[in-house]
Amino acid sequence: MGDLTQKLVAQIQHAYATKTALNIQAGNTKTSLGRHTSGEVIDVSEHAGVLSYNPTELVITARAGTKIKHLTKLLAQTQQRLPFEPPSFGGEATIGGTVAANQSGPSRPWFGSVKDSLLGLGLINGYGQAMQFGGQVMKNVAGFDVTRLQCGAMGGLGLITEVSIKLLPAFKLSRTLTFEMTAQTALDAMQHWSNLSLPITAMCHCKNTGQGLLYVRLQGGTSGVEDAQALLGGELLLPEQATIFWQALNEGTLIPRQDHQTLWRWSGASDAPIDRVPNTCMINWAGAQRWALEDTSNTLSQDLEQSICQYQGGNRLGEVNAGVSAPQKALQQRIKHAFDPHSILNAGRVYSWM
Amino acid sequence: MPALSSSPINPTASASESTMTTKNVALLIHELQQLLPVTSVILSTESQRPFECDGLAVYQQLPLITVIPETVDHVQAILRLCHLYQVPLVPRGAGTGLCAGAMPHAQGVLLVMTKLNNILHINPNTATATVQPGVRNLALTEAVQDLGLYYAPDPSSQIACTIGGNVAENSGGVHCLKYGLTVNNVLQIKLITIDGQLMTLGGEGLDEPGMDLLSLFIGSEGLLGVVVEVKVKLLPKATRVQVLMAAYDSVTAAGDAVAALIGQGIIPAGLEMMDHLAINAAEEFVKVGYPIEAQALLICELDGTDAQVEEQLAVVSECFKEHGATRIRIAKDSEEAQALWQGRKAAFPAVGRISPDYYCMDGTIPRGKVGYVLTRIQELAQNYGLRVANVFHAGDGNLHPLILFDASIDGQLEQAELLGGDILTLCVDVGGTITGEHGVGLEKMPQMPYQFADAELAQFRRLKEAFDSDCLLNPGKGIPTLKYCQEYRSLQNG
Ligand SMILES: Cc1cc2nc3c(=O)[nH]c(=O)nc-3n(C[C@H](O)[C@H](O)[C@H](O)COP(=O)(O)OP(=O)(O)OC[C@H]3O[C@@H](n4cnc5c(N)ncnc54)[C@H](O)[C@@H]3O)c2cc1C
Repeated sequence: MGDLTQKLVAQIQHAYATKTALNIQAGNTKTSLGRHTSGEVIDVSEHAGVLSYNPTELVITARAGTKIKHLTKLLAQTQQRLPFEPPSFGGEATIGGTVAANQSGPSRPWFGSVKDSLLGLGLINGYGQAMQFGGQVMKNVAGFDVTRLQCGAMGGLGLITEVSIKLLPAFKLSRTLTFEMTAQTALDAMQHWSNLSLPITAMCHCKNTGQGLLYVRLQGGTSGVEDAQALLGGELLLPEQATIFWQALNEGTLIPRQDHQTLWRWSGASDAPIDRVPNTCMINWAGAQRWALEDTSNTLSQDLEQSICQYQGGNRLGEVNAGVSAPQKALQQRIKHAFDPHSILNAGRVYSWM
Repeated sequence: MPALSSSPINPTASASESTMTTKNVALLIHELQQLLPVTSVILSTESQRPFECDGLAVYQQLPLITVIPETVDHVQAILRLCHLYQVPLVPRGAGTGLCAGAMPHAQGVLLVMTKLNNILHINPNTATATVQPGVRNLALTEAVQDLGLYYAPDPSSQIACTIGGNVAENSGGVHCLKYGLTVNNVLQIKLITIDGQLMTLGGEGLDEPGMDLLSLFIGSEGLLGVVVEVKVKLLPKATRVQVLMAAYDSVTAAGDAVAALIGQGIIPAGLEMMDHLAINAAEEFVKVGYPIEAQALLICELDGTDAQVEEQLAVVSECFKEHGATRIRIAKDSEEAQALWQGRKAAFPAVGRISPDYYCMDGTIPRGKVGYVLTRIQELAQNYGLRVANVFHAGDGNLHPLILFDASIDGQLEQAELLGGDILTLCVDVGGTITGEHGVGLEKMPQMPYQFADAELAQFRRLKEAFDSDCLLNPGKGIPTLKYCQEYRSLQNG
């Protein structure tokens, strides 16, 4: 653990000079996401450690290889949390990888995604230049938002060396309620409850038993949570069970996928009809995220293409993400070139052409 | 007002300075007149006069041509023509910007977006609205309030500024502390690229695969494309809103109270600070009962359910007291709450009454540095023989020092500008930034090389070129050219 910036810079400069493809790796928890690519591994996992944390500023700056589990633990000591509730994938996920893969948890519709909490980052581009964008302050509009641009880029625009994140106070009380109901009823309920001013921080429907269960998580100040619980009713889940459930949902282990199966993830309007994604087995994010498990030999209907991603399994050498229009494809390629002219950084991870 | 003249180097000098020939101009005008209704193409100096500046009126420039499109097709065709004839183009919303971002280009087209002002769709189920860029910020909230919804980013200029301008500047407002800036409240944008292509960024869903182009575009100051449609997130109105005010006998004590409150885990819906000069100017103007002897005033808004607000109110009052509040006033009803806000909202015009001119800065600093920075600003101001009033978003650490000056006194404008520059570099020195919400535009170009290293600025330029290889969109703003940076560095070293 320490500052490996100089070493990483040297590695990328060398790769730039020799046009060698690199595969950026830290916790190595996200190989199943995105496309399979090859390239020499450049290891960020040892470039770890918290650089600054001042609880009264509600900001933390950490090196990219810092593990999510370490951050969560540290923040819990001062009753604070990462607002986007990232999955820690068995404890190995790092903050850099989380930002690059844009991983946010069940509270996404209420507390935003990674970008909503990201204040700044350090980045080494494909020329091997170490740069800083954004900062540690709450508002910053100087220059283009290169910081947030990295969310979801899967390292294709640069190696993230450090990140600054806006924090939120921890919740005083957390309760999970369950309701036995069909997916359709759950979808209606989620929509209705979303529009009331309630301390809801997650809503997910799973077809695990019978009609299925709607899980609603309430978090916040004591009175707010208790009032909302009284209003909504439902069955109260034991705290340990609730923790296990939300963690499994977050880490993608709730839907057991077999080798011959593909797990599809769709994100669209929360009020899209229930049959928008055929064979939906789980609805998360209050309706804005739907999951379907299919035999890999089954192809999904064409009209879903714009909003669906082949989350896990299936052929990972072809495209796994929804396509974009021709002008946008060309634009993304030019942006890639602006950061990484020799296309040495995680090339082809998001799209074959990137 | 005279143009700012003390900048050591000309920030608009751009490698891509237009080389448009007279013949091209004539052709362009002819084609625009064919394309648009007669009233939409403005050529006369007199009719173009109202467009020569934005809210930062010290920078003025008449454009060659002003066009006011009525449809997205118009916008698309105008951009194609500018591209074809290689004419610079400056987009403009309501022109309330405070960084000369919408100031026209002498050899260019000014594209006024205010006629694209329809609210296209409101979806109460998903709490979203789709609007054209010329819709005024407040008009959107007014249109959805009967549904119990509102649009959270609320710049103080919300009565006039447009959603397109908000997107271009990533604008914030009083409620951004809890609900985020424009970038946190926009779901999708349709834009026209300089070569006239319609592009959609973001989607129906919550996260798109791949790089976050939507976030990159927000706050890009009209340098990357022209926004023609915006889909925003709306929020349900809170059942209870509570406003309170706390007076302090030093800005440091008030600043510490802010840091302590946030550190305790309370994020108010809004948390604003005014200093002695601002309190007095505001009280003089609106007479709402601000304590004029106070050195600093905090205005705090809490929202949520009754229970949540009561819980927070107790903590907040306690914290303010602990940090030396000399007086706390809790609004009894919505009238009193409004009165407390009124003074804050009228602070800019109020300051305008006590000084012939004022210059508004926009640096952001870590919250814990508020006391130090405000004290240092007063010292700097004294050195220049100028006064500074402060009224700002304390919860975010976003300062708005208002430098008071009199442009009719020889040299005062230049002094004000130098002081402004010193304040911005001070913000960078304490770990902050030169602009929190107003943007760089033309105004803050001199401070860009102070905040960013050359490699970073070069990265910005390559990014700009990926969208606009001929640098036709709002040239000379936002991102300094290589030549500008070289001149800047040699001046610093020499
Ligand atoms: C009294 C006052 C108070 C203010 N308070 C605040 C505040 O609290 N918070 C805050 O953030 N700002 C504030 N501002 C600044 C200003 O109101 C905001 O920056 C606002 O978003 C500008 O909107 P506009 O429509 O006036 O844009 P303009 O000033 O017309 O343009 C601003 C920039 O956006 C670009 N632009 C405009 N429309 C488009 C488009 N359709 N596509 C692409 N680019 C476009 C322009 O080229 C320019 O660079 C204040 C200004 C005033 C005068």
